[in-house]
Amino acid sequence: MRSLRSKGAALKYSWLCYRRESLWFPAAFLALFVVILAILPNPGLRYGIARAYLGFIVPLIGGILAAYSILDDPALELRFATPERPEATLAARLGLILLVEAVCAAGFQLFARALGVDLSPLGGFLSVQAVWLVPTLALISLGCAGSLAGAQSVTGAFLVGGVWLVQLLMKSWFVANARELYLFLGVFSPDSPALVANRFVLFAGSLGLLGLSTVLLRRPERLL
Amino acid sequence: MIEIAGLTKIYGRGSKAARALSGIDLRIGTGMFGLLGPNGAGKTTLMRILAGVANPSGGTLRIAGNDLRTESGKRAMKATLGYLPQELGLYPELSAAQFVDYMAILKGLGEPKARARRVAEVLERVALQDVADRKIKGFSGGMKRRVGIAQALVNDPKLLIVDEPTAGRDPEERIRFRNLLVNLAAERTVILSTHIVEDIGQTCRDLAVLARGRIHFRGSPAELIEAAEGHVWTATSDRLEEPETGLTVISMLHLADGIQYRLVGPRPASFPNAEPAKPGLEDGYVRLMQSA
Repeated sequence: MRSLRSKGAALKYSWLCYRRESLWFPAAFLALFVVILAILPNPGLRYGIARAYLGFIVPLIGGILAAYSILDDPALELRFATPERPEATLAARLGLILLVEAVCAAGFQLFARALGVDLSPLGGFLSVQAVWLVPTLALISLGCAGSLAGAQSVTGAFLVGGVWLVQLLMKSWFVANARELYLFLGVFSPDSPALVANRFVLFAGSLGLLGLSTVLLRRPERLL
Repeated sequence: MIEIAGLTKIYGRGSKAARALSGIDLRIGTGMFGLLGPNGAGKTTLMRILAGVANPSGGTLRIAGNDLRTESGKRAMKATLGYLPQELGLYPELSAAQFVDYMAILKGLGEPKARARRVAEVLERVALQDVADRKIKGFSGGMKRRVGIAQALVNDPKLLIVDEPTAGRDPEERIRFRNLLVNLAAERTVILSTHIVEDIGQTCRDLAVLARGRIHFRGSPAELIEAAEGHVWTATSDRLEEPETGLTVISMLHLADGIQYRLVGPRPASFPNAEPAKPGLEDGYVRLMQSA
């Protein structure tokens, strides 16, 4: 109970320390896509926009926020001098980003449903959640590991942006040759037989990158 | 007790490798210990290694029996560590009390009531109790330093490491800070790293001088002063003089009958009227740096 209350207080402070200006980033995109969705008359176009927001935009924002989540900390050296485990640091910082992303995705879906947008071509409720959650986890872990490996937030952000763009532009190549590694298979091919393997590989890759981030956080001097 | 043996730190690899620390051997007990050295001597590197935020390239380091080459040893040491880094960063949106409370949680202080009591105690100790609920972004540089020392003390550390705490502070703040450190050293080991000789002279009974990554002196302030015996001179001139190589001008006092120089080094040939003077700690430090 005592430990839970301390964890609750630590989460409260993590939230209070969170750079509020970075909240404008997901909020601005959410507002933009909500407006676009509202003004488009065609149901087909509305579905396309909803799919793009959930499948492409939410993961990209998550990855970029994650790239800045660890190193953009004014009290980084003080934190490294505490006995806090690297896993706990990652859980607090990346968990917060995932929470922001989940709120955006849920809010957008509620709005889309209120406008009568049919998301069923993406699958059932859980499949729709997997469409944004799996690539978001992958890009969050990539952004975090990239920034820690390069010892600069911008390295992680570039890595996320680069992978996102290359995968978007080279859709055909990835679908034909590397479906398991394709971030957007759930958006473009929701009925693909490779979808389960794709999600498993992306999830395992995310765990691997988080493991790498933990190892890199154990050598903090590179990051100061 | 801190035991350091053969400690080295090398940044980079191959032809780009830079040796920041070379074979440091030190044993430090309870009380105030001063680490003096010029900028770039390796003081901050050594402080970071002691605080467990940097890893040594070689040698051994034990603090209160914990081996800092292992993760478990580092974690155990950090639970009893207070650290005030040279570049102190705080969360500007938190109040002083919230920041210290947050650091207390990160240091493993779990019980909320005891933690709140401890936070109030340390803020009172650094005279910030009246502004405990004000956001840090409105604080002066000196107040931020005091928040820094409050967070360092919140876990009642056995070892307190403060890196250049008085640099850039006004005289009143420096004196307040020095007195606070002396009081804290009564019950723990305090390592004060600085390039300001006066800070060491006013606070430490035991010190080491670090230059170019090596320990050049280890002893008491009195022993460092002794090193300059016979090498300190005062001389007066009616015009600005350029002293010869090997002499360091410690001070130039503009008097009614000319300029009074204080010099450290061999007997100055360019000042025929030079007289031996009683050395101080700064003279001892300068003399040591001349031969380092």
